Amino acid sequence: MEFLSSTFTSYVALVPVTLAQSLILAFVVLGIMIPFRTLHFPDLTSEGAYPLGGCVCGILIAAGVNPALAIIAALACGFVAGCCTALIHLRFRIHTLLAGILMMTMLYSINLRIMGKSNLSIFGSDTVYNWAPFVTPGFPVSKIIIAGIIGAGVFLALNWFFKTEKGTALRAVGSNPAMAEAQGISVWISTIVGVGLASAFSATSGALMVQSQGFADVNMGLGILINGLAALMIGEAVVGKKSVFRQLLAPFVGAIIYYQLVSLCLAAGMPPPDLKLATGLFVLAMLALPTLKRGRGAGGAPAHEKLRE
Amino acid sequence: MLEIRSARKTFYAGQPDEKVALDNLDLTLQTGEFGVVIGSNGAGKSTMLNAVSGALSLDSGAILINGDDVTSTPVHKRATRIARVFQDPMLGTAASMTVAENMLLAELRSKKRTLARGLNAKRLADYKERLSVLGLGLENRLETKVELLSGGQRQSLSLIMAVGGSPDLLLLDEHTAALDPRTADLVMQATVRAVDSLKLTTLMVTHNMQHAVDYGHRVIMLDAGRVKLQIGGEEKANVTVAKLVDHFAVKTDAMMLGA
Repeated sequence: MEFLSSTFTSYVALVPVTLAQSLILAFVVLGIMIPFRTLHFPDLTSEGAYPLGGCVCGILIAAGVNPALAIIAALACGFVAGCCTALIHLRFRIHTLLAGILMMTMLYSINLRIMGKSNLSIFGSDTVYNWAPFVTPGFPVSKIIIAGIIGAGVFLALNWFFKTEKGTALRAVGSNPAMAEAQGISVWISTIVGVGLASAFSATSGALMVQSQGFADVNMGLGILINGLAALMIGEAVVGKKSVFRQLLAPFVGAIIYYQLVSLCLAAGMPPPDLKLATGLFVLAMLALPTLKRGRGAGGAPAHEKLRE
Repeated sequence: MLEIRSARKTFYAGQPDEKVALDNLDLTLQTGEFGVVIGSNGAGKSTMLNAVSGALSLDSGAILINGDDVTSTPVHKRATRIARVFQDPMLGTAASMTVAENMLLAELRSKKRTLARGLNAKRLADYKERLSVLGLGLENRLETKVELLSGGQRQSLSLIMAVGGSPDLLLLDEHTAALDPRTADLVMQATVRAVDSLKLTTLMVTHNMQHAVDYGHRVIMLDAGRVKLQIGGEEKANVTVAKLVDHFAVKTDAMMLGA
């Protein structure tokens, strides 16, 4: 009883902070969802694009640049990184996963080059969260408001875009590239723009996070991809993915639930170092579920079975 | 009008399993003409169709559509003038998208895609009407995902998508081969109706000799990457399945003797 009440108290105390964090990280989940689900281009660039956004934003803010401008710069850099991953895949016919790993490995050096050191404090600098109306700057509520407004804006914009003529064409490339091409759609341009857009969101998330935590770190992306995947799976389990609207809502809902669960685990006394193992096991379990349901006979797959994405 | 001028395509050039798929193939299809292509496996039918659509690039030769050289135009740019129905119903439609969205993609094939809303009321009404021609009830399933349709329904949808917007050239790649006889017949009837009413320049590949006899203005028989035989006009009206099969038989014997 004692344990439960203390867990509950510390969890509740963390709810606003966690909510702010999850709204910021929802952009990474969005940046994972778009290539994986919409484009059928399993992409790992986000693991490099997230810290890239953070580093670009950090160095710009340290140089006194307007924080909103720093986010836009981070977004643009993320877009370029995503375009590179797509180009590596399209031009050299390298598997999308390997293209992503190459990109994120190279981005590590680039991120270090950008900052010139492995971490950079921007504590006390002006951030976009200081612009939240009606609340005292520095409190989680201001972060919830700002990240929430940006998140809602992005959600509405994407929900509109995917239903336009261009957006429908982009989705067709993910659904059936050969058919899309036969309908006059350039698979190259759609893939490059789509993956670029996704990485731009990951970088935006990194930039928002740096402004929230007050420092940029070259290692801040470690494991972000698996966290994002776990969040995406939770989101899809809750809201589904049957329509464009639901598929777009899933990253946001998933991020909110996932980070609350993490916070609950930590409040219950789970040692933080174990977190990645737990998340990894969770993703594994979610992926393994379909084969487990089918029974053992179907479980042992041939060596060349298609990758589950 | 479609012109194929001395098209050449060799697979695995310089290797032991070198294969000449198109051997200086020449073919002209007049505007509004319906050509039916037959030939045994490996005769170069698919290679020819892929070369025309742009999915495969030629080693040498040229492809002209209405007089414009499109030999080096990529698939998606050629698509503004060419519509294609594949043999596999899965290939011609986007499975995870709805019937209406697929129709929209086809409608935009030869247009510039904008940032305007794709499926507006006017378009939906138009799709409903165009699909009702099939008599398959697809007009009431506009919001259904294509993956839930049967093979025949998907192929019928592919056909309607292809003939919409009156393409300069319609390519039919054994488009009824994967269907059961009744559905195949239905799709074939719909094809002929559309081709006739829209006067589409059409190139249809088929293994069904009865179709080759019954439909089209001209039968084109390919063999070893060349046009071996063309039957048009009066002669086409009198041709029978047995006569067509005879032409295959000679070749088979020749192959056996050669081997």
